[in-house]
Amino acid sequence: MAAIKSKNKRLGRANTPNPLQSLTAAALLLPGVMLGVAQAADEDEFTFQYGRYEESHRNLGDVKSQFDPISVDSLQAGSKISLTDRVKFAFNFIQDTWGGATPISTAPSVRQGNQEYKQNNVVAGASPYIQDHTGLVYFDNQLNPLKAVMDDDTGEMLSQGIDKQLAHTMVLASPETRKEGNFKLGYEWDEAAIDVGGGISIERDYESRFGNLGGRLDFNQKQTSLNLGLSYTNSDTSARQDHDAQPYIDYVAYNLKNTSDNYGKLLVGNREDWATNVGLTQILSKDSLIKFGVGYTRSTGYMANPYKAVTVFFVEPIGGQVGEYSSTIPYVGQSKVFLEKRPDLRNQWNFSTGYVQYINPIDAALHFDYRFFHDDWGINAHTFEADWVQPLGAGWTVTPRVRYYSQDAADFYKPYLAVMHATDSNLTNKNDLNYLPANYSSDQRLSGYGALSGGLVLTKQFAKGLTLEAGFEYYNHKGSFKLGSGGESDYADFSYYTANAALKVNLESVGRAMSGGEHDHHAMHHNHGAPLPAGVMFGHVMTTPGDIMVGYRYMYSRQDGRMLHENELAADQDIVSNGCNLEPGLTCRTSPAFMNMHMHMLDIMYAPTSWLNLMVMPQFMDMDMKVRSLGGVTPDVNRDHLHGGHETGGVGDTGLYAMFKLYQGAGHDINMGVGVTAPTGAVDIKLKRMHTKDEGYIHYGMQLGSGTWDFKPSITYTGKVDDWSWGAQLNGTKRLENRNQAGFAFGDQLQSTAWGSYSLFNWLSASVRGIYTVQGAVKHQFNAVIGDTSEGDPIMGDVNPKEGSMDNPKNYGGRYWDVGFGLNAMIPSGSLAGNTFSVEWLQPVEDDVNGYQLERNGTLNATWSYGF
Amino acid sequence: MKLLLIILPLAVCFTGCAVAPWERGNLAKPQMALDPHPLQTELSGHSHGSREAAGAGGSASGGGCGCY
Repeated sequence: MAAIKSKNKRLGRANTPNPLQSLTAAALLLPGVMLGVAQAADEDEFTFQYGRYEESHRNLGDVKSQFDPISVDSLQAGSKISLTDRVKFAFNFIQDTWGGATPISTAPSVRQGNQEYKQNNVVAGASPYIQDHTGLVYFDNQLNPLKAVMDDDTGEMLSQGIDKQLAHTMVLASPETRKEGNFKLGYEWDEAAIDVGGGISIERDYESRFGNLGGRLDFNQKQTSLNLGLSYTNSDTSARQDHDAQPYIDYVAYNLKNTSDNYGKLLVGNREDWATNVGLTQILSKDSLIKFGVGYTRSTGYMANPYKAVTVFFVEPIGGQVGEYSSTIPYVGQSKVFLEKRPDLRNQWNFSTGYVQYINPIDAALHFDYRFFHDDWGINAHTFEADWVQPLGAGWTVTPRVRYYSQDAADFYKPYLAVMHATDSNLTNKNDLNYLPANYSSDQRLSGYGALSGGLVLTKQFAKGLTLEAGFEYYNHKGSFKLGSGGESDYADFSYYTANAALKVNLESVGRAMSGGEHDHHAMHHNHGAPLPAGVMFGHVMTTPGDIMVGYRYMYSRQDGRMLHENELAADQDIVSNGCNLEPGLTCRTSPAFMNMHMHMLDIMYAPTSWLNLMVMPQFMDMDMKVRSLGGVTPDVNRDHLHGGHETGGVGDTGLYAMFKLYQGAGHDINMGVGVTAPTGAVDIKLKRMHTKDEGYIHYGMQLGSGTWDFKPSITYTGKVDDWSWGAQLNGTKRLENRNQAGFAFGDQLQSTAWGSYSLFNWLSASVRGIYTVQGAVKHQFNAVIGDTSEGDPIMGDVNPKEGSMDNPKNYGGRYWDVGFGLNAMIPSGSLAGNTFSVEWLQPVEDDVNGYQLERNGTLNATWSYGF
Repeated sequence: MKLLLIILPLAVCFTGCAVAPWERGNLAKPQMALDPHPLQTELSGHSHGSREAAGAGGSASGGGCGCY
């Protein structure tokens, strides 16, 4: 069935089918074997995608924010496989890392929510101010904000007229990573299908678990398809409030919980979402089809954003208790900032329709979609979308896309609130709530606006089932784009772009390119070499010109627990005195409590000749670390970064390699690899400014790349006799530059390894490996970052952190012994033939570290590869 | 009236406008798939979903909270 579908699709793609193909196509389209109209031609495939989201700077009026806007790096890897002809399984891994400036609240510009700060008389940035500490805001009789100045002679505040300009107050969000895994298991009949799926999404402050059921029924000779879906999502919020903002935000509407480490407070909440949808797809003619859908979602629980707050002005008439007043200013308001509140119930409806038309003369397809959304928060939204899919020949397809979206504001959305009551400066004054509406939010996502976006997708399909895709979208959000009137004013306008690159491997193409027997032979041919432990790279050279191999490599390593000095346990007092000796007299205050590192690597290998292979290996990193106070040091939350830990993530360095076959004899192979890694990973990630104190670069080990071009040679020997195989490798990393743009260079590295492997079954082997690694310490150090080093009056100096053992370049590198235990599965036949899976656990045996470092717990390597 | 324009051809097709299986060659082409670029759709859908109130629409999956 699957093979027939593939063939069907492939023939459909051919521009000029020959008569035999046409006949075959007609035969394959007989009822019972033809594709249903809404049935995705879901062939077995592996997909990998990287996406980048970057937002524009917000308009803050006279003040310019130096913060970089929000950006997101997304990574997605997934696979769809047929377990049998009728049973399909799909799984995906998704990871997003974001960071940057985002609005925390909104107020009239006269409120000055972003205040410039100067260093050496030069504007160096803008700090968020959300509490009323600089003065009051004045209002007219209609509660319009007034611009006011003080009369120099009388000292009286005088109105200069209405100033309705608003501005967001921007805060910097530190990098954070979300990870999601999901799966779908489906069963197909000739005219129906059911599937069940589920997954989990985890980030530091939010965890979401979900399950879904789906079904499809084809009838009317497969001209009509009915789809049904039901899903349930349960999500927990556990958001640590920024301890920098905590003294200024009013949390009286919530019961905050204490954190386990007693730094800051947690906002805890739970929400549930039940969603159901019904869809109908209908073939209209041999060139067109139409679809309709209705969906309903019921959400209950905590649905607010735990980091958004609403500015409220408590307004007193002249003669009241608050502040100054004058003959030209009827009202004065004192501001307070409340964490936003949303209803705990939301009913949402979706109505959608779509139309697809084949444009015969130019082999193109026009897609048009419209969706209407309505909820009981008062939001109606319209989405219009049109795509033109144009095949260009030679495997190329270009798709211009355009989209328009418009929504009304939620009932409880207000950029800010003004209430006719007085308040005091007490942030725990529960009386304030009596004057506020039940719900309030100034999140621009709930405002009235329109968004126009457009983009392009370019696809190139190569022979052998390999497809590359690149896409770009530019998105423009404006209050004035809203359908009808009443859009938010232009202070909230912003734009973003997304760019993505994807790779798809059709796992069935290989199978259909040759008959069954040859297929099996082919699969075995690619895996004829000795099985390699998962942690060994550059061990295998493909010898058939034109062959391609695609692989995915995941590595996880953790350091946790005890601190070492060289090869012995280090006492805290020793670390305090000697661990931060970067400058004379410096002592350590903190050391890492743990650190996790995850690496995802895509591995694309091509054999232009029988003796040479070319490889490209993009990498994606994410790390998290928590620090602890060293014994004998009095913890200082404003100085020591003890709150919740740090995360970084995104694109790492990119490897480019050539592999050569030096010798191939009976059961013996020698390969050589030479290559470089390009410094595509960031090395300039900084900690965020806090408590009016600037911060410098985050620790060396938390940066995403080396920042230098690195030379990476290797030489590998492998041998094989019967069920036994073995090998040895020497590989190195030589930094080709003395220092990177941030001022330092990681140490060079040399690694030697040897392993033995035994085939337990014809598809499974087990390996044992020994590894010895030498790595140098970090050379030089971060460039000085000049900033304000104190919480009081500005005292300028280098603000790079130096009081943590991980901030000392001498505390990197060392000499390490590890033992690896691995399993290696090669699927010799069946639908997964040609796939290799391997895992390996590296157990540290001996550490001899440079300076003072955290002990290593171990490393997990997992790889998948597929040759064709 | 508009509704009638949509419903009428649909009703007709439901009963009579048969497109024979061997006439469905064009419908089977990849550019005619209901979603010709699912990877792209997922990524841009994630961006739209985290920036717009109308959300992902119907078939909920986990997603993040978009708390920024």
